[in-house]
Amino acid sequence: MTYQPQADFGTPVSNADEMVTLLIDGREVTVAAGSSVMRAAAEQGTAIPKLCATDMLESFGSCRLCLVEIDGVNGTPASCTTPVAPGMIVHTQTPRLQKLRKGVMELYISDHPLDCLTCAANGDCELQDQAGAVGLRDVRYAADATHLGQAKDLSNPYFDFDPAKCIACSRCVRACDEVQGTLALTMAHRGFASKISAGLASEGFLGSECVSCGACVQACPTATLIEKSVVEIGTPDRAIVTTCAYCGVGCTFRAEMRGEQLVRMVPWKEGKANHGHSCVKGRFAWGYAQHRDRVLKPMIRASIDQPWREVDWDEAITYAASELQRISAQYGRHALGGITSSRCTNEETFLVQKLVRAGFGNNNVDTCARVCHSPTGYGLKTTFGTSAGTQDFDSVDDSDVILVIGANPTDAHPVFASRMKRRLRPQNGRPGARLIVIDPRRIDLVRSPHIAADYHLPLRPGTNVAVLTAMAHVIVTEGLVDQAFIAERCDADEYRDWADFVSLPRNSPEALEPVTNVAAADLRGAARLFATGGNGAIYYGLGVTEHSQGSSTVMAIANLAMATGNIGRRGVGVNPLRGQNNVQGACDMGSFPHELPGYRHISDDQVRGLFERDWGVTLDPEPGLRIPNMLDAATDGSFKAIYIQGEDLLQSDPNSRHVAAGLAAMECVIVHDIFLNETANYAHIFLPGSTFLEKDGTFTNAERRIQLVRKVMSPLTGLADWQVTQRLAQAMGLDWDYSHPSEIMDEIARLTPSFAGVSHAHLDVAGSLQWPVNAAAPEGTPIMHEQGFGRGKGKFVVTDYVPTDEKTGPRFPLLLTTGRILSQYNVGSQTRRTLNEVWHDEDVLEIHPVDAEDRGLKMGDWVKLASRVGETSLRAYVTDRVAPGVVYTTFHHPETQANVVTTEFSDWATNCPEYKVTAVQVSPSNGPTDWQRAHDAWATQSRRTRYGDLPG
Amino acid sequence: MKVRLSDDAVARACGADVVAAAFIEAGVEVERVSSWGMHWLEPLVELDGLGYGPVTVADVPTIIDGTANSIGRIEDHPFIKAQTRITFARAGRTRPLNLDDYAATGGWQGLAKARTMGAAEILDAVIASGLRGRGGAGFPTGIKWRTVAGAQGPHKYIVANADEGDSGTFADRMMMEGDPFQLIEGMAIAGLAVGADAGFVYIRSEYPHAIAKMRAAITASAHLVAPFILEVRVGAGAYVCGEETSLLNSIEGRRGEVRAKPPLPALKGLFGCPTVVNNVLTFAAVPWIIAQGAEKYAALGMGSSRGTMPIQLAGNILHGGLFETGFGMSLGQLVNDIGGGSFSGRPVRAVQVGGPLGAYHPISQFDLPFDYEAFAAANGLIGHGGIVVFDDTVDMAGQARFAFAFCAAESCGKCTPCRIGSTRGVETIDRIIPGEEVAANLALVTDLCDTMKSASLCALGGFTPYPVMSAITQFPEDFGGGEAA
Amino acid sequence: MTHLEKLVMMANQIAQNLAHEPDPAAAAAEHIRLFWDPRMRAMICAEEVAGLMPTAKAAVALIRPMA
Repeated sequence: MTYQPQADFGTPVSNADEMVTLLIDGREVTVAAGSSVMRAAAEQGTAIPKLCATDMLESFGSCRLCLVEIDGVNGTPASCTTPVAPGMIVHTQTPRLQKLRKGVMELYISDHPLDCLTCAANGDCELQDQAGAVGLRDVRYAADATHLGQAKDLSNPYFDFDPAKCIACSRCVRACDEVQGTLALTMAHRGFASKISAGLASEGFLGSECVSCGACVQACPTATLIEKSVVEIGTPDRAIVTTCAYCGVGCTFRAEMRGEQLVRMVPWKEGKANHGHSCVKGRFAWGYAQHRDRVLKPMIRASIDQPWREVDWDEAITYAASELQRISAQYGRHALGGITSSRCTNEETFLVQKLVRAGFGNNNVDTCARVCHSPTGYGLKTTFGTSAGTQDFDSVDDSDVILVIGANPTDAHPVFASRMKRRLRPQNGRPGARLIVIDPRRIDLVRSPHIAADYHLPLRPGTNVAVLTAMAHVIVTEGLVDQAFIAERCDADEYRDWADFVSLPRNSPEALEPVTNVAAADLRGAARLFATGGNGAIYYGLGVTEHSQGSSTVMAIANLAMATGNIGRRGVGVNPLRGQNNVQGACDMGSFPHELPGYRHISDDQVRGLFERDWGVTLDPEPGLRIPNMLDAATDGSFKAIYIQGEDLLQSDPNSRHVAAGLAAMECVIVHDIFLNETANYAHIFLPGSTFLEKDGTFTNAERRIQLVRKVMSPLTGLADWQVTQRLAQAMGLDWDYSHPSEIMDEIARLTPSFAGVSHAHLDVAGSLQWPVNAAAPEGTPIMHEQGFGRGKGKFVVTDYVPTDEKTGPRFPLLLTTGRILSQYNVGSQTRRTLNEVWHDEDVLEIHPVDAEDRGLKMGDWVKLASRVGETSLRAYVTDRVAPGVVYTTFHHPETQANVVTTEFSDWATNCPEYKVTAVQVSPSNGPTDWQRAHDAWATQSRRTRYGDLPG
Repeated sequence: MKVRLSDDAVARACGADVVAAAFIEAGVEVERVSSWGMHWLEPLVELDGLGYGPVTVADVPTIIDGTANSIGRIEDHPFIKAQTRITFARAGRTRPLNLDDYAATGGWQGLAKARTMGAAEILDAVIASGLRGRGGAGFPTGIKWRTVAGAQGPHKYIVANADEGDSGTFADRMMMEGDPFQLIEGMAIAGLAVGADAGFVYIRSEYPHAIAKMRAAITASAHLVAPFILEVRVGAGAYVCGEETSLLNSIEGRRGEVRAKPPLPALKGLFGCPTVVNNVLTFAAVPWIIAQGAEKYAALGMGSSRGTMPIQLAGNILHGGLFETGFGMSLGQLVNDIGGGSFSGRPVRAVQVGGPLGAYHPISQFDLPFDYEAFAAANGLIGHGGIVVFDDTVDMAGQARFAFAFCAAESCGKCTPCRIGSTRGVETIDRIIPGEEVAANLALVTDLCDTMKSASLCALGGFTPYPVMSAITQFPEDFGGGEAA
Repeated sequence: MTHLEKLVMMANQIAQNLAHEPDPAAAAAEHIRLFWDPRMRAMICAEEVAGLMPTAKAAVALIRPMA
């Protein structure tokens, strides 16, 4: 499609039900009450000149271009700040208005460079457009004082700031305030000296609190804030809407192209998950797709100590298939397995599990959700009957009390966090929602501009169940349960058992305080607030699931939601913040070894029969191996081959030495990825992957929202990932002949009731669909369990606190917990290969000042981090965000090998690793450990190709 | 022996503290009272009802021994007798922070009556009185209060605009320093009328004495106005924060930037809540209205300008001070009869009424009655009631330039006509003054003024054309050799 | 930790976390049946497996006939 900028109606849409009819330039228009005159005109197709107004932001009234004349009203009011009234008669173009608009524009241009032809915004500049629209021909002012000589700020890696072109419309400041919620920008000084400032003048954008989300760049009507890529390349000529491949928010973007070159990614305003907003990663960090590390040709080698040999696709696929068949023949069909990617599309994931089930003949398929949200799947299926969150993101607008536990949304789900922060800030006289944060760290959300958590419960890592049980104790014993909801929607006996259990004295906040380290009074206050504060919504993340009682914690959360009647409408619910762009989808697609697509157990004869008939094969009815069990079986010798798509086990799974041992014990490791990752050090076959820019398909975000991924450039390797899997399947004798991913989705829809109404064609029209999409809900299901639970009655499950076996002691006195950071993503394979490195080019260890002082450590010192399974070195970051006794790090950089120290302990129900609780000791160090150095050297060796160079 | 001497800032600036010290040293009891508002007589000493002023330390012994020349009974002074002092009834007569003095002179009667009346009746009274905002906008106060009373919000607030930035004005300061309880009483009554239980007094940072007095008065009277609570908030040197929406932004800790209207502060004001924003004098007029009756207030004045206006005579004027009178006196009467003409003795050439953004009036307009509508009809405004007198040495081109320069210095910068226009205005006048392309530049200034008047976001940019165009129109001979636009 | 020791730990964990079910051993047995691959079930059902807590042991006994 030819390039059209996104429509802008000037002021935000009004959600009022009442409609108003008025006359604009003699034509009748009907709009929602509360709309501005500007918006009404825009909806009618009349573009009143404007510069400071944009429909992403509240009206401001500063440019004074949008003046109109209204019968019966004196003067010339601004249409952006004038609400419509029934019967209003508006004139948008009169001689008076023309004169005034020219007068205003003349002032603007008297202080603006006249270098349009070489300006980066040439052709995409609202000032240019409006100067033309108002018919300015002459600037009569001599203009002694101007801003033309001001210096540019080029510090941010992705966009430039040129104050000489600034028209002081404040759209950037307002975007940072209203949309992003970081409030990093302000207008410094006043009057003619007004100047946009990001923090202190000396800091510039990079040194300020700016998180590089790009909202200001998007809002800026001139070249003042502009993407460096546009400066370098020029303006795009077409735009294709696609979905981000980073986190589970699932922002949709317009990939703006010139030819096959991606010029910039601009958030799509009609995206239902992001509503036109983005974070630094999706917006700017897409350069990894063309990074020199990108492997473009398949490679094979007979053993892992040999260099790689580049081959063509046919040879690689043939070799892979023959190895897999050899191993199957030699060791049995249970010796093979596969891992689907939670970054690849639903269609691709479906094919991988189909390959394993129909091709390998077993159920040894798993996915990264194993190590993140598998407890969500188990816990919510058990309590509610559906393995997914209950709300959509917009639901937070109606919340009164927000409880965030084990999640750090401003870092890990930034676009949703901005939404949440809007609800937390007071606005127009509406008080902000109340906030409870349960986290060992003082995450940014606890105290941010205009937001202060009512309660921050900094619990001891590993005690989630104790805290939630204590909260339940308060709610039940103080008579704060929602009896009507429970009576109608839950099993009475199960509720009684649970209520009796939580009411026990040993489960009171006071009794559990020594265990949790949470002051009983605070815990009581938080519980009361949640139960009585109105609509209560719970948002949680891996700080809940990555524990030995992860599944129990999820169920405890579900118990709380049911007990307080906070299910089944907007503003409430249980909301797992899914990490990866398609981890929800990967789970939906049957990536777990015990489930077919749609969360149906493999032992269910009827369901299995459905698949057997459609696929023309017999399927194994027994559950297969989970990832940690695959590795155990490998070291045992009974698991020999694995096909891994888009997952770096060695960097992201716990207890790296154990992972390495398992991989080393296999005879055929096939890694299908876009870069040579840590796991590839142990691979025999490397199949180069394609990025989200190079294929069609769908991703499903944390809201169960299925969105299209559209190809914007040809796969650099020649094949999209689904085509590679298909070729492998064909080489193994399966008669697959999909010609387009939409056909795969049709098959999914055929076989999976909750996807029955999903198709690419439908998605094209609808924009996105939240499953279940079926006859009962043909356009999808935003809020779940509105009438009843997926399983009928909600199930209360008794969750008794069982302390983890991971205990601190004299040798390992501190507790390590882990998390994420905004600028880097997961193992960093994508973000480390972008300019995001400028914000976080190494993982550091957060340590409390008291613990640091005890060890003679200062900010920036190298430290050794050791647990009973391993040790590594990294630099210290001394801060009181963590409590004494707790240390924290991220796992974005392979050099850190953070997972060398994490243990084999895991959730009882799903084996989700207990990343969040590791007993460690921290001591001064001279630098990276010998092991790190050796590993680094060995990894470099492993990556070399036959010709002595690193590939790409 | 007991003398009375003001502790108002003007009096102190004229040496009242030194004089007071001299009296005390001489064994005389000194009562510090509010100022009578006759600036040319400060420091004004009152002894047994007789006035002496201006007094220096040297005069102290003669006052004590009775040999000094008095000006007679102060309240019989023609300047005072010519006034109708309602709002400033206590000026010069009471000790500002003394609750007994306040109660003895009718203080708290308005509030007591209001407490028995109920909100609706209070609103009716204020509407009936015809009281209009004395800050400058002249909006009917009762209508504004009624809007707030009917509005919804988690809280409601009463805000007194004490930013008083207009050059030549001082009535708010005199009120806060001299009769602070009256302002408090008026705000408390407003709270009852609209359902607000908290209020703020926003005082410009350049009024340190008023700030200290208000804080002390709030503390002293807290128990009498409870449950209504009050707090002082201090500005930071921005004229624009006298505009009500940027004032609210300033109280909220934000940049003092003007907000677009709608929404009106009456509906969405301080912290997004329904808010009454009124000038100090507006609130100060209310206790009397409630205690004595709205119709008595409305009986004074003319046309739609009812009640009294505390006019502030300043600039190059012989008798500068606070002159409260019913609307309707002519400009000429005020400047010549009351004010005594220029201080310099030279002929008066121009009078600026309504602050730095008011029009310059030549003596040909001296028959204009002091009335909102009459001045508006003459392309002027009475504003907050300040009158600044200029004699025949004034350069009106320089005054026009000053108007633009003042706007440029004080502009919040939000809207383009004011932010850029004020600077361009200065630059253009700077070309007119030495005679560069005068006709073309006057035409440009006229266009610029048209843009600023009609397109500015607030009255700072919007009213700058008043002084500029009145200077150009009424005094064309000062602009580039007499070439008219 | 050996593979078997790990399976024993897992079985004990499962039993401990299902202790409040009406029939904990049966619930644990069902959980293992639903989620453990046959090789794992075979390992845990071997007669001489040491370290199983009573409920876990009872659960394994329920699985053994079908392993």
